Amino acid sequence: MDEQEGHTDAISMTPASDTTFDPVELLATMGRDFADSRDIDKTLRLALVRITDYLRAESGALFLLDDSSKTLTCTACTGATDIEGLVLASNQGIVGRCVQTNRGELVRDVELDADFFRGVDRRTGFTTRSIICAPMSVRAERIGAIELVNKKGKDFRFSTSDLRLLETMSSSAALAILNAHLAEALLEQERVRRELELAAEIQRSLLPEAQDETFPIHGINIPAGAISGDFYDYFTLPDGRIYFNLGDVSGKGMNAALLMAKTSSIFRCLGKATPRPGRLLARINTEIHETATRGMFVTMVGGIYDPASGEVVLANAGHQPPVLQGEDGQFTSFEAETPPLGIQPFTRADGDIPEVKLNLDGGTLYVFSDGITEGYRPDGTMLHVEGLLDMLRDSADLPAAKRLTAVTDLLAGGGRPLRDDVTLLAIDDRLNANARSNTARSNTSRLKAEAKPDAPTTEAQNADTADYSLLAVLTVPARADRLRLIRHAVSMATIDCGLSETAAGDLILAVDEACQNIIRHAYGGDTSEKIVATVSREGDNIVVLLRDFAPTVDTERIRPRDLSNLRPGGLGTHFIRECLDDVRFLPSPPGGGNLLRLEKKIR
Amino acid sequence: MEHTVKIEPEGIVVSLSGDVDLQSSPEVRKILLETVEHKRPVIIDLSGVGYIDSSGIASLVEALQRSRKNGIDLVLASISDAALRVLQLARLDKVFRVYPTLGDALAGFR
Repeated sequence: MDEQEGHTDAISMTPASDTTFDPVELLATMGRDFADSRDIDKTLRLALVRITDYLRAESGALFLLDDSSKTLTCTACTGATDIEGLVLASNQGIVGRCVQTNRGELVRDVELDADFFRGVDRRTGFTTRSIICAPMSVRAERIGAIELVNKKGKDFRFSTSDLRLLETMSSSAALAILNAHLAEALLEQERVRRELELAAEIQRSLLPEAQDETFPIHGINIPAGAISGDFYDYFTLPDGRIYFNLGDVSGKGMNAALLMAKTSSIFRCLGKATPRPGRLLARINTEIHETATRGMFVTMVGGIYDPASGEVVLANAGHQPPVLQGEDGQFTSFEAETPPLGIQPFTRADGDIPEVKLNLDGGTLYVFSDGITEGYRPDGTMLHVEGLLDMLRDSADLPAAKRLTAVTDLLAGGGRPLRDDVTLLAIDDRLNANARSNTARSNTSRLKAEAKPDAPTTEAQNADTADYSLLAVLTVPARADRLRLIRHAVSMATIDCGLSETAAGDLILAVDEACQNIIRHAYGGDTSEKIVATVSREGDNIVVLLRDFAPTVDTERIRPRDLSNLRPGGLGTHFIRECLDDVRFLPSPPGGGNLLRLEKKIR
Repeated sequence: MEHTVKIEPEGIVVSLSGDVDLQSSPEVRKILLETVEHKRPVIIDLSGVGYIDSSGIASLVEALQRSRKNGIDLVLASISDAALRVLQLARLDKVFRVYPTLGDALAGFR
């Protein structure tokens, strides 16, 4: 039988001749057992065996209260009956009364006690005659009770001194259990700490790798705790422009960190296919709003910087205004016009959030979290926006990355813990502006040599002032069988311009493919609607303007195909980009439709 | 755009001439997809094609894919510089087997 075996096992753990133990010696032994214990359940079982044997009881049971104090569960037993796993209501039976009153119970004859619970005897076939039961509690915290049944001997009755001894021993057991719980809690804390460390490591890996000084964008993020609710990111688009963002998740802690990870992942993932910050932020808003926990939101600045022009397109959803420090040292800030992401669907007709266009013109755009402006200087005063601007003004001559660390060093320097995550991003146009002006200078001087002495030379890019001649204007119905006519027209119109055979072929292919796009995508198939092709020479370039009268095209949907997988179709746009030096949609002309500008260098 | 189809001992020779563009490529596609169903090597002679656009390239690619599925060879022969340039722009010049002349292509299947 199981209980017999259990009993035998238990006995084998006890020293022989327990009854000769002095009670103090028994307590000391139990204390040592508990102190050495790595397995509290096993040690409690051993203690119960020692107590039951010492007090010469037929059986003993140890009950623990559950966390909600609603039930008592027998977690160990020894002796004549096996009731391990038995669950009682926390006020049931004599053990329940003992736990409720937090006082020892001595019941010499259970038949005379109304609270005695007969269910156990009925199940085990054992006959309970007498019980002592002592509560296990430490200060106000109740843990459970130890119950002994039937004193060995002729009348089975326990004495008051038996109860006193049991009470002493169960106090000692209670303390051991509490210590074990504390140790468990410490282990759990340690485990949580390790998990936080791992989470922080993952989070750091979500930030972009720092670039060298020639790269225009630098960022820094210092979490106030182990993990951060702030983030920033940047990545280069195929056309050389650079996407950047900086965001701040409401709240702190793990939930903020998880929403941060989610938001930055969506930004990177959708950003590659959505080169419009206003549209991207609106899409992120939809994603977060659909799935985020209620009440959490993200403030974010997203933008695209074009190193070739210094232009930045900026969208701001509820974030602190970014600040542009112009080359002249003047500061301009850009307020948010839109609430933070994740709060509500945006209601503008096109669903996008407003964009601001600005040109850095050799200056630096700073985006920062409120951990910066609400951070403390070492003297205890808050930095505020003004303090940040002062610092940036003073450090203007340093490289961008050093300007950022100067600010964060100040905030982290006072020896006081950071109040909030500190995040700062700089988009520095200085180097690119220098490169641009060098190129412009060489273009200008070249044009000077070629142009008539009285021709304006400062705006080399401007068609009105550059050497311009109209070569052909052709209006045809948008039909596949007219493409050949367009190809011939372009070919004949440019025949004397000095294009190489390959360059001429490329231009013709690009014009043809662009016209195909108009026929197939803008007009949706052959039609008697018009395509107007204007071929001209502008300086060293052949420029073809293609005008249609279809609804305005969503330029984002026109993209080159992925050439790594072999698949028919989708090639036309790729050819257009490959064959030309510049291609862009111009603003929709009066009367509607689309105006596409194709440019090919003559060389 | 004009075409001829000839059955040679080495395989089926499809000769195309003229411009393969949005207007003519549906026909080219139809011809090529028919010829790759005959369990014989297919040689596409492009000597008369001075212009090919993305829709023409797409027809060639589709025929190539179908030929691979059918376990037969499909090669190009005598491609003009202009058409080769377009194939290169599409990064497909290494995907197709290209012979300088029709004779070279036929010799390849003897």
